[in-house]
Amino acid sequence: MAKRSSGIMRQKPLTPWLYLLPALIVMSTFIVYPGFNTFYLSIRNNDNTGWAGTRCMDGQPCWGIFENYRYALTSTIMQTAFLNNLKWIVLMVSGTVALGLLIAVLADKVKYESLAKSIIFLPMAISFVGAGVIWKFVYNYGTTQVQVGLLNAIITSLGGEPVSWLTEPNINTIALIVVGIWMWTGFCMTILAAALKGVSVEILEAARVDGANEWQVFWKIMIPQILPTITVVVTTMIINVLKIFDIVYVMTGGNYGTEVIANRMYIEMYKNYDPGRASAIAVLLIIVIIPAMIMNIRRFQKQEETR
Amino acid sequence: MKKRIWLPIALLTIIAMVLVSCQTAAETTPAEEAPAEEVVEEEVVEDPCMGAQPGDEISLLYQWSGTEEEMLNEILAPFVEECGVVLVPESTRDQALLDTKVQAGTPPDIAFWNVAQLEQYKDILVSMDDLGAHGENYKDFFKTPGIIDGVWLGLPVKADIKTIIWYSPAVFAAKGYTVPTTWAELDTLVEAMVANGDVPWSMGMESGDATGWTGSDFIQDILLVQQGPDYVNKLITGEVAYNDAGVKQAYETYGKWASDATYTVGGAEGTLSTGFNDAILKVFSDPAEAMMVKQSGFAGGTVTEQYPDMVYGEDYDFFAVPGAQGMQGGADWLMVFNDTPAVRALISYLSSLEGGANWAKAGFDLSPNMGADGNYVSPALIKKGAALANATGFTPDLGDTIPGGFGSAEWAAIVSYINGGDLDAALDSVAQAQAEALQ
Repeated sequence: MAKRSSGIMRQKPLTPWLYLLPALIVMSTFIVYPGFNTFYLSIRNNDNTGWAGTRCMDGQPCWGIFENYRYALTSTIMQTAFLNNLKWIVLMVSGTVALGLLIAVLADKVKYESLAKSIIFLPMAISFVGAGVIWKFVYNYGTTQVQVGLLNAIITSLGGEPVSWLTEPNINTIALIVVGIWMWTGFCMTILAAALKGVSVEILEAARVDGANEWQVFWKIMIPQILPTITVVVTTMIINVLKIFDIVYVMTGGNYGTEVIANRMYIEMYKNYDPGRASAIAVLLIIVIIPAMIMNIRRFQKQEETR
Repeated sequence: MKKRIWLPIALLTIIAMVLVSCQTAAETTPAEEAPAEEVVEEEVVEDPCMGAQPGDEISLLYQWSGTEEEMLNEILAPFVEECGVVLVPESTRDQALLDTKVQAGTPPDIAFWNVAQLEQYKDILVSMDDLGAHGENYKDFFKTPGIIDGVWLGLPVKADIKTIIWYSPAVFAAKGYTVPTTWAELDTLVEAMVANGDVPWSMGMESGDATGWTGSDFIQDILLVQQGPDYVNKLITGEVAYNDAGVKQAYETYGKWASDATYTVGGAEGTLSTGFNDAILKVFSDPAEAMMVKQSGFAGGTVTEQYPDMVYGEDYDFFAVPGAQGMQGGADWLMVFNDTPAVRALISYLSSLEGGANWAKAGFDLSPNMGADGNYVSPALIKKGAALANATGFTPDLGDTIPGGFGSAEWAAIVSYINGGDLDAALDSVAQAQAEALQ
């Protein structure tokens, strides 16, 4: 930068901004302005006629201008939502990454690798809503002996009692997470498989020649080598899972204790016509996602440095 | 360095100004159109088209499609032919679409939607009195829910009654059951069915993210039996809190049936997992899974769609919830966002006795318009119309009428109660939503 060359290579100070201008306009219109507006709405009341403090009720706790945040943080339904999102993160992220890695490693060793991977990847091509509808049939609970739902049909044909998968409080969230894992394992597998292909064959050969078994090769060589990629996949999945909405909305509508943050945001906005609370939930969701984003970006920058 | 900082700030400021100016322009549009009304007023009496020119367009937004949309077109046909107005309809069940259009400043001229939207959009809707709607053709109890803060904003165009129970006369006759006329008789009948090895009710209420509304209709009917219409209206105004003992009693009456497999198909799981349309059909399947289903007037259509051979009055019929003091009903509301001559002409036509008669003849459910009386064709609609005409009181659906989060809180409470949750806690959360909404 310090070197000042003359002629056409020299740029005026304005030029970089000109290059950035289209991006800046798009960013400010669609990210920055809505972001600020969302925060503004989150400290307003439900019909945007006054500050949020005006909706406080006599004899009940009040957080003044942050009244909407009191709802978003302390109401029973939102606490259920936070807890469920935590379940989603723990089970779905570990599920997709572990399964994705397993399939990537195993598929690497067989002849029909591309076929196997295509099948695993296929659910990614289905929309969330489509997947929700499909799985709603799988989990269907009928009141007669004839069960339409696949799972209950299997259970009843083996002589068991049908289970109401989507309404049973301890089963239903896990039943929904299974759908998420089914959809996203292919994504994790593809990226992890690409990283595994990048592990140099020489190192693997050397380890095997030195007498390492496959188990040791996997844990001591492969995993450390692809660790940066695993981190990226994990953080991307965390962001995805925090935003989970479609599956829950289609399959249970957030009922029976399956509420999640994003679904609550939709209900507050479009069913309860309460932009204040919906915006407060949106702001909280962004705040929760930020650490995952920072981790993702840091990892990305480190990767760039090593190139 | 300084220049580099100021440039993006300047750009951002310009963008912000552009955005702000867009916003104000959109907000003022409806207000600017208001003065036009005086000019048109003088022509009202002579010209049924209110000065609308052939080719004028009216944009409509409604939830109907298929045969329902055809019936609406049939009703509007005489008006369209006479005035040469072009209807530009859009059909969606997505409430978010209406909200987005309104917030973007491009609402449809006319929307047919729920009563809650009258409250939601009370500041920008055009009053029916200004539009010259014929209010004298509507009974007060129909108009009242459409009057928000003293201004008449919504025209009830299509009505349906909810306080009815569907059953199969053939099955009743074969098993020796008779239609009850009091709540005590209904209770006895239910127990007799259980003793006889039959399942009395089909109470499935699954409906996606709206699961619970079937239950809320049933509970409101029980309230009409146990407490009466005044009590329900006090719930709407907030004089009675939703966690009142009377409401709890109604929930317990409902819950006794809805969560027990001896009273309803599948017990609590069946109630929660069975779609409300499937629940209707279970009463008319062969063999019948249940004897009765409490569902609004539309259930008859669901039956004939699935079993086209069934005959009304023989294979399927309904009776009013016995002992209910007054009817619970719902209406679809016409609301106007833009005041134009063509819109005025359409309102004038639909609210006229002729419009009501044409609505009845088309068979598109009930019309609250007095012109509909005596013009229904199908026997089911004639019976429904008579039930409505004889109603001693009328209450709108609680969940539709109380704005804000009340409706969804009510559904959530019912779902949670039937799923084994604590009833008091559930009712408290609805009472909280009720208090917030009516604050």
